[in-house]
Amino acid sequence: MHTFKVLSLLLSYPREEWLDHCDEFKQVIVEEKLLSKKLIKKVVALITRLQNDDLIDAQENYVATFDRGASHSLHLFEHIHGESRDRGQAMIDLMEMYNDSGLDVNTSDLPDYLPVFLEFLSTTNIKTASHFLGETAKVLTLIKERLAKKQLDYEVVFSALVEVAGEKVNRKEIKEIVAAEKDEELHENIDEEYEEPEAFGKNLFKSKDYLNEKIAMKIHSSNPHSQPKAEDSAQQEQ
Amino acid sequence: MSQFLDRLTYLTKKKPETFSNGHGITTDEDRGWERAYRNRWSHDKIVRSTHGVNCTGSCSWKIYVKRGLVTWETQQTNYPRTRDDLPNHEPRGCPRGASYSWYLYSATRLKYPMIRGRLMRLWREAKAKNSDPVVAWKSIMENKDDCTSYKSIRGLGGFVRADWDEVNELITAANVHTIKDHGPDRVIGFSPIPAMSMVSYAAGSRYLSLIGGVCLSFYDWYCDLPPASPQIWGEQTDVPESADWYNSSYIIAWGSNIPQTRTPDAHFFTEVKYKGTKTVAVTPDYSEVAKLTDEWLPARQGTDAALAMAMGHVILSEFHRDNVSNYFDDYTRTYTDMPFLVRLDEHKSGLVASRTLRACDVTELASQKLADWKSVLIDEKTGNLVVPNGTVGSRWEEKSEGESGNWNLETKDNTNGSEIWPVKSLLDNYDEVVDVSFPYFANKQHDQEIFQHTDHDDIIKHKIPVKKVHTKDGEIFVATVFDLMMANYGVDRGLGDENCAQDYSDDKPYTPGWQEQITGVDQSTVVRIAREFADTADKTRGRSMVIIGAAMNHWYHMDMNYRGIINMLMMCGCVGKSGGGWAHYVGQEKLRPQTGWLPLAFGLDWHRPPRHMNGTSFFYNHADQWRYEKLEVNEILSPLADKKEWDGYSLIDCNTRSERMGWLPSAPQLQENPLELTKQAESAGKSSVEYVVDQLKSKDLEFSCMDPDNPDNFPRNMFIWRSNILGSSGKGHEYMLKHLLGTQNAVMSQDLGEKGGPLPKEVKWHEKGYEGKLDLVVTLDFRMSTTCLYSDIVLPTATWYEKNDLNTSDMHPFIHPLSKAVDPAWESRSDWAIFRGFAEKFSEVCIGHLGKEKDIVTLPMQHDTPGEISQPFGVEEWYKGDCDPVPGKTMPALIEVERNYPDTYKKFTSIGPLLEKLGNGGKGIAWNTDTEVENLRSINRQVRDEGVSKGQPRIQSSIDATEVVLALAPETNGHVAVKAWEALGKFTGRDHTHLAKPKAEEKIRFRDIQAQPRKIISSPTWSGLEDEHVSYNAGYTNVHELIPWRTLTGRQQFYQDHKWMRDFGEELCVYKPPINTRTIAPIKGTKSNGNKEVALNFITPHQKWGIHSTYSENLMMLTLSRGGPIVWISEIDAKKMEVVDNDWIELYNVNGTIAARAVVSQRVPEGMSMMYHAQEKIINTPAAETSGFRGGIHNSVTRAVVKPTHMIGGYVQQSYGFNYYGTVGSNRDEFVLVRKMEKIEWKNEPVTKLERGAS
Repeated sequence: MHTFKVLSLLLSYPREEWLDHCDEFKQVIVEEKLLSKKLIKKVVALITRLQNDDLIDAQENYVATFDRGASHSLHLFEHIHGESRDRGQAMIDLMEMYNDSGLDVNTSDLPDYLPVFLEFLSTTNIKTASHFLGETAKVLTLIKERLAKKQLDYEVVFSALVEVAGEKVNRKEIKEIVAAEKDEELHENIDEEYEEPEAFGKNLFKSKDYLNEKIAMKIHSSNPHSQPKAEDSAQQEQ
Repeated sequence: MSQFLDRLTYLTKKKPETFSNGHGITTDEDRGWERAYRNRWSHDKIVRSTHGVNCTGSCSWKIYVKRGLVTWETQQTNYPRTRDDLPNHEPRGCPRGASYSWYLYSATRLKYPMIRGRLMRLWREAKAKNSDPVVAWKSIMENKDDCTSYKSIRGLGGFVRADWDEVNELITAANVHTIKDHGPDRVIGFSPIPAMSMVSYAAGSRYLSLIGGVCLSFYDWYCDLPPASPQIWGEQTDVPESADWYNSSYIIAWGSNIPQTRTPDAHFFTEVKYKGTKTVAVTPDYSEVAKLTDEWLPARQGTDAALAMAMGHVILSEFHRDNVSNYFDDYTRTYTDMPFLVRLDEHKSGLVASRTLRACDVTELASQKLADWKSVLIDEKTGNLVVPNGTVGSRWEEKSEGESGNWNLETKDNTNGSEIWPVKSLLDNYDEVVDVSFPYFANKQHDQEIFQHTDHDDIIKHKIPVKKVHTKDGEIFVATVFDLMMANYGVDRGLGDENCAQDYSDDKPYTPGWQEQITGVDQSTVVRIAREFADTADKTRGRSMVIIGAAMNHWYHMDMNYRGIINMLMMCGCVGKSGGGWAHYVGQEKLRPQTGWLPLAFGLDWHRPPRHMNGTSFFYNHADQWRYEKLEVNEILSPLADKKEWDGYSLIDCNTRSERMGWLPSAPQLQENPLELTKQAESAGKSSVEYVVDQLKSKDLEFSCMDPDNPDNFPRNMFIWRSNILGSSGKGHEYMLKHLLGTQNAVMSQDLGEKGGPLPKEVKWHEKGYEGKLDLVVTLDFRMSTTCLYSDIVLPTATWYEKNDLNTSDMHPFIHPLSKAVDPAWESRSDWAIFRGFAEKFSEVCIGHLGKEKDIVTLPMQHDTPGEISQPFGVEEWYKGDCDPVPGKTMPALIEVERNYPDTYKKFTSIGPLLEKLGNGGKGIAWNTDTEVENLRSINRQVRDEGVSKGQPRIQSSIDATEVVLALAPETNGHVAVKAWEALGKFTGRDHTHLAKPKAEEKIRFRDIQAQPRKIISSPTWSGLEDEHVSYNAGYTNVHELIPWRTLTGRQQFYQDHKWMRDFGEELCVYKPPINTRTIAPIKGTKSNGNKEVALNFITPHQKWGIHSTYSENLMMLTLSRGGPIVWISEIDAKKMEVVDNDWIELYNVNGTIAARAVVSQRVPEGMSMMYHAQEKIINTPAAETSGFRGGIHNSVTRAVVKPTHMIGGYVQQSYGFNYYGTVGSNRDEFVLVRKMEKIEWKNEPVTKLERGAS
């Protein structure tokens, strides 16, 4: 399961400490064979790029890709809850999930930070990892397509994750949505996008498969901030 | 089956119990399902905090924390109760505040220290070559290409994350290098509104003050500072708390949009209507407050003074002439300068009003101490000329041991204490009636027809009753201020004055009929409202109030708007009365425990004085905004002024003269490093002061302001914290980008050289203004603001729920905490921790470069110090040889300060010895504070480490810092309050301690206010009281304790007699129309995109959907507004340009350009465009067609234009004080061309690509 640890690092801020281990990463990816050949090749290419890049270039590139704005945010719930109040509770639930596996969050970052989540997966087995990734598949696909559209090579990490994910999403649909996105968030359907969830609909917070439901957002809206409606999400999953 | 078997025999089916006639029912079903909701809303703790910059609310919030994360906030509702006759304060807090918890974990939050990649690379390379960081920084600075390479991409992204250690080293190395090679006064810091998070402000200002850096003032720069307030009262923005609105019987909300911008206080405004109080709104647009009030006066924007003057005309006619109100008459004789005598000077047009008559002018009074500073009036009882108690001369007069002063408002002769009664008018007892000339300004046609003029003469003559007085200059005429005022207002007094009105509808300044053509308000309404306002004040003894917002203060001639209104309040005896007076709630907020905070904030416990600079003059000068000045001095001069005296002077020249005369401060100070000057003095065998004076006199040394484009005079390092100085506060935004930063900008204006002059006379002209003066820009923020985008280093700060701090407001009397509900997220740190970190690193990095150094500080003549009485008559310039350069008298004081730089950290983290040595104080009084410092030794514990701070109280944590403020301030420590009142009593000769004695044992600590906000203790720092019987109201102690106002006469002043005030025609209030900024004519027709263009006045009010001016870019705010930059325009103008609602429009002038969506609304009158303050460039902003760059912000089309009367100094109330007096950055006289946009381009190519292409 080291592959997940490698993917976690690849999405982390480029630092000498881990860039020095790039050869090891390649070895792990190739040997563990958790990914298809095609993707192994692409991931290795990304590792090589990071290895060869000037450190500051690599860092600028990372900051420009992930630290500015919400569209490629590596915080999963940014795409699901945005700045809504539900986000706090969602993070707490996620933290509890880590705790249940005997792990504590030991970083100044938030529990929904993708590298944290991937590191968590690296401690599980492939079946569990595939299940959890399945729950986040839509968000991952969305980020993947957005990165692909801008021809950013970080895309391969997301391709890899989507490949491993148990749940399959309608990639074509998401691709179309991303293609239609303008560079700038225009919030043209802002009222619709920001509709409140039904207060007495299905209780989203404590169901068994809660993460899945969180992520079953109304992706059609192409808006990362919209909240899931209980009924909509149920229908979508069927 | 038989029904019988269904029937129960031994059991009965339980029937639900009903109540309320069957409408209610009690059931006992399992309620386990509710647990889901309970868990959802469960939490580990609730912490009290509030929102730090810069909303005045200071509202109490409960912050809910669960597993170390903030989950939500709700309004806290446990304020101390008020009184039986007053509604309580809560609920406080508005929907905008309730959205803040969303910000903590948002993608827009700054998470790591960031530095521009290019600078990082240069730094690492330099460090690899030089292990000494200061040498490394120097090596970068010495390579011009290196400097340009990172300066020119400011604002274009390319950031990388950095470690705290690395950025701290870089920043402090830059500071050390700058201090060593250029001088400590080249390190500048800007942060606004300390009241809202005073420890965070103090963190930066303490660091800067200890190393000799400069703190810029903000209040004037934001243009929220009303210069009228110091002019009239010698006091800056002392106002009633919002609860006092409830004590009012008549309220005019004049340009203040209360329900929108003062949401948590608005309930008092609504509640008082239930008592029968009438409310009136004066706003140009149909604003929220216009909907809330009983009546709306839609005065044309920028013409408020005309309306106020007309109301004053009515009040004077009906309550001071026809049916004299005894209350008004007593009040104005006792508490205003109406009875004081003004000299009438010869002028080619006849006689003109000059300065006030002083004791030194009158033979029999000339022997009095400080006779130059004692204004004179006539005693009704004896008919003699007398100097009453309370003039500024009495204030600073030297007293022998044990002798108490008579600086008070008792109606007594100041020499012998005999009772007097001031004569207000000479109408019944004059020697002669003479013609006196008054200036008139509203007779020139304005460039834009929305601003109307009238056809009266420049000079209007009025008949004035006068007395003859024998002076050392011979026999002269004198008149009372009141008689001059009546004439100026055009009030006829039966003297056959043809320029006075016989009827309200006469077209004579300043009648209701006259104002109608200018303001557009129906004259009969004006008469009625003025009458109601005054009549209410007469019957209630002053319970009429005017609430003012920033709007009116942002006009170039804001003083006239304000004085017009304040005059009404003074005429009606409203100032200092419960429920009455001037309620101006803008920008400054009230730093209630000010005297406790000052030593912490400016390091007064270690070195005095700190370096302060007025923000407006700094940015006008050093951002080269003056190079594009289009307003000439002779356009604004009084028709009565001697034009020759002003010949060739431009506005920047006036500021330069002011700095040299010690009126306004200077930063950078002099063209040489002050640390070098002291060394040169030593080798020349002179004292530093003597040496610098000689150098200046021989002109071998000049002031930095005289050559701002010379690299010797550049500000070099700039710290920005708690502020968006380049964004929402960046007047002349594009000029700042160009000259301070040296990066991409949209300045389209010709400078004076290109335009062909006239060039300034006293400031050196360089053909090309320097671009990129600042070597290092460091910004601390929790979000990526416009300023952060343009900074070299961005540091993530703790949010308002992640730090401990103090917060006070002028809206309510409580002191409130900000509390650390959770640890700062990601890598962020509190401001206190960040600057403490700098201090630590600085002390390390400076070794080998800076040791024990002598610094020389220039200090202007300060208000509330004896320095404020340095220049009694006229204007004398040592630079021109009019007089000798005497530090602290005719030029700035020069004070040597010794700094041992390696001790900076030790000093930062402890209280220095000066408090015990020199005491503490403020506003001209001082007291011994040994007990409090000793007390802090046990509260904060003592420093144990060896060195300069050993045995001193510690200030390690931000809570330690709060305790310093709370222990030292009279407002939070009863014993100090008693001492402070005692100290004031020595000046006034009256016992004021009864105001604090009941609370002597009260000491407020940080944990106390976390438990519940606490009411402050009354102190002489402020002019209001906070007790069981009255709400806080400004001027209350002046009226009820007879403490003089801090002005020339000790009274509230209608008349301003400084030479420059008279030269610009503002000795009395007049109406001055908006100025012509000339920013559209040069560009009109040159940038056409084929669409129709309309010229509109550009207004920037505070908005509904943003946290005051702090942010508007969270999704909640964007959702509730339109999700991006918007500009409101009228239906009529929209039709003219063929624009419909939501179209993209461009607004531009020579200053810059804005791209935004149009909101077409009936709310807006024709000729006006309105863009809410503080919309960020980072949200949904396409490229502007004129510049081709991303469209600007609301400040892009502005440029600061300074006003000479604000540069006056050394003259009692018109003396400099930090955030008290000085030039202000007005911006509302501006016009823009507006049109529909053709193409919408987003200009979003990734920055990395752009950068690589460029490098």
